[in-house]
Amino acid sequence: MSEVLNLQEKLVKEFVRMEAMLNGQAQTPVHTIRKQAMVRFTELGFPTIRHEEWKYTNIMPVVKNDYAFNNHTTSSVTKSDIASFLLPDVEANVLVFVNGSFAADLSTIISQKGVEVMPLAEAFKKKTTVVEKHFAKYALWQNDAMLALNTAFALNGAYIEIASGAVIEEPFHLLFVNDSRSQSTFAPARNLVVVGTNAEVTIVESNHTLVSGENYGFTNVVSEVVLADNARLHHYKVQQDVEQSYFVGALHAEQEATSVLNTVVITLSGGIVRNNLSAVLAGKGADTHFYGLYLVNGKTLVDNHTLADHAVAHCTSNELYKGIMDDRSTGVFNGKIMVRPDAQKTLAYQSNRNILMSPNATVNTKPQLEIFADDVKCSHGCTSGQLDDESVFYLRARGLDKEQARALLLYAFAGEITEKIQLGTLRERLESIIAERLHQELVS
Amino acid sequence: MLTITNLQASVEGKEILKGINLTIGKGEIHAIMGPNGSGKSTLASVLAGREDYEITGGTVVFQGEDLLEMSPEARAREGVFLAFQYPVEIPGVSNTNFLKAAVNEVRKHRGLAPMEPKAFLNMMREKMALVEMDQAMVSRSVNEGFSGGEKKRNEIFQMAMLEPKLSILDETDSGLDIDALKIVANGVNKLRSKETSTIVITHYQRLLDYIVPDFVHVLYKGRIVKSGGKDLALELEAKGYDWIKELAQEEVTA
Ligand SMILES: Nc1ncnc2c1ncn2[C@@H]1O[C@H](COP(=O)(O)OP(=O)(O)OP(=O)(O)O)[C@@H](O)[C@H]1O
Ligand SMILES: [Mg+2]
Repeated sequence: MSEVLNLQEKLVKEFVRMEAMLNGQAQTPVHTIRKQAMVRFTELGFPTIRHEEWKYTNIMPVVKNDYAFNNHTTSSVTKSDIASFLLPDVEANVLVFVNGSFAADLSTIISQKGVEVMPLAEAFKKKTTVVEKHFAKYALWQNDAMLALNTAFALNGAYIEIASGAVIEEPFHLLFVNDSRSQSTFAPARNLVVVGTNAEVTIVESNHTLVSGENYGFTNVVSEVVLADNARLHHYKVQQDVEQSYFVGALHAEQEATSVLNTVVITLSGGIVRNNLSAVLAGKGADTHFYGLYLVNGKTLVDNHTLADHAVAHCTSNELYKGIMDDRSTGVFNGKIMVRPDAQKTLAYQSNRNILMSPNATVNTKPQLEIFADDVKCSHGCTSGQLDDESVFYLRARGLDKEQARALLLYAFAGEITEKIQLGTLRERLESIIAERLHQELVS
Repeated sequence: MLTITNLQASVEGKEILKGINLTIGKGEIHAIMGPNGSGKSTLASVLAGREDYEITGGTVVFQGEDLLEMSPEARAREGVFLAFQYPVEIPGVSNTNFLKAAVNEVRKHRGLAPMEPKAFLNMMREKMALVEMDQAMVSRSVNEGFSGGEKKRNEIFQMAMLEPKLSILDETDSGLDIDALKIVANGVNKLRSKETSTIVITHYQRLLDYIVPDFVHVLYKGRIVKSGGKDLALELEAKGYDWIKELAQEEVTA
């Protein structure tokens, strides 16, 4: 317990230190929010398993470490360190953040019509009107300690603004590197994405930890995204991190009329991974898609908490999360659908399906439906079990051996999620990683 | 080709096959008929290697080898093919990819190299024509959303692709419309040779008008209680099973 307090106290001190370095930025409305959030974080403290939202995810092992904070000045991440994290063969806007700070030398920004992209630190100075309109308006930190913490330390990350009508072909890749090689490091980052009317854009987010020895990296990335009328955002989060990594992150979206949000979260490895995802369907005809796949083994814990918040009528939400869990891995899925009184004619679907490959793997799944309108169609369902014996036998009866049959079935199971990724290079890369993983898993 | 001797099998402690004796020679067609629940599908499943059944006695020799010792995939590679009574739907696995894997496994077992993509496509096209399957169906996931008849036709398409030595067709005719029945039967006949054998499980004489059996057997309560030529099927069609049941009764009490 004292260690936990230590980290909390340390963060308070860090906050003071950070304030001192803000210079002219200390008087801004954004900083007022940071200060309030810091106060709130100290009141709430790190969540424990007594907290309903953290019942199955114990982050006490995470916060007991002694973390360095914002030690980017001592970091020496090179192009070759991150080479394997990049998307192959795509022209993309790549924004690399090392321990929360923007790494200009590792990033590539293609200047494009209709795109304003810069580190958030810069946007705090140059884009005050847009920032002040949206910052901390969707990631509601008042009752969420981890969001309050992220808001308090919202210093850098990506700022992306897509002008009305701009359809951007080249994806954005936001790459968050936690360099914990010399010391365990806490690396927060904050993104703001504003997609204009009729605009369309694709964002890939990935997080990577570099460690050595007994060090752990703790990464905390929060994105706020706003979709104006008829805007379309494809957001793909890819998590394939080392065992000695902790990730707590969130994406909070606000959707205006007939906008479309398409999110896919793929988790392939890591220590403890917690993803919060929410979309407020605030304009008529808005459409949201939440897809997720966790394919994990070892002692990895993956926790996905989602919320589709139907605030107005005629919106649709579609959600499918799938898990393939081996060894002693743990999966948590908590999917909430909120249908507010005005949200008549809502269509909301949710499903969570899990395949447990080992008797020691566990999954805790909880759908939560809160429906306050009467003319709606909502459904939810969850399953967890083994691979279907009938299907395995059918394939074997055609000459495939047991492992091949299982791999083929698992690959197909995962494929229902990967096929939602419209960015071809990313999809193909993930599919080959997954095929390779399943093959290894089954022969071992 | 296949010699079944006193085969006994049970599931969950319940005895279902109670001593089956059956010899199938090269090039022969055997029809197996019998009332619902008599054990026909169980026999087919046991031959294909389904693991839910416990073999409590007897032997099965396939081409001189102990079939019961082999895994399901080894049997398939050796040339045993079961056209399922209820083919499963496998979402996300395309017919084409699955068949490519299956065909190449069988080839590997026979010491052949994997098929070139082009040769494979040609073979697909040829076999599709044989059972009059269209490309759209072949491109879809295995049996997913297929109608009852389409599933049966897909089974015969797979059989055509795998070129088995012993085919077991478990009620392949049920669910097929009159035209489809002719197409499927015609396909089966074309695939026949002096080197291949077929077991046709059916309830209806109609299929046997097209696939003419050399022998007809009646399975009842886990035993073959009567065997005969193709006329036996006609007799069953005319008289039903009551006389068979009586016959079986007499045998048991005698
Ligand atoms: N897995 C199982 N568990 C329990 N009982 C089973 C199982 N499989 C088969 N049986 C029983 O064994 C008996 C024979 O079933 P089988 O499917 O072989 O019959 P069948 O002759 O093919 O019938 P039909 O003509 O209806 O297809 C039936 O009474 C059936 O209920
Ligand atoms: Mg049957």
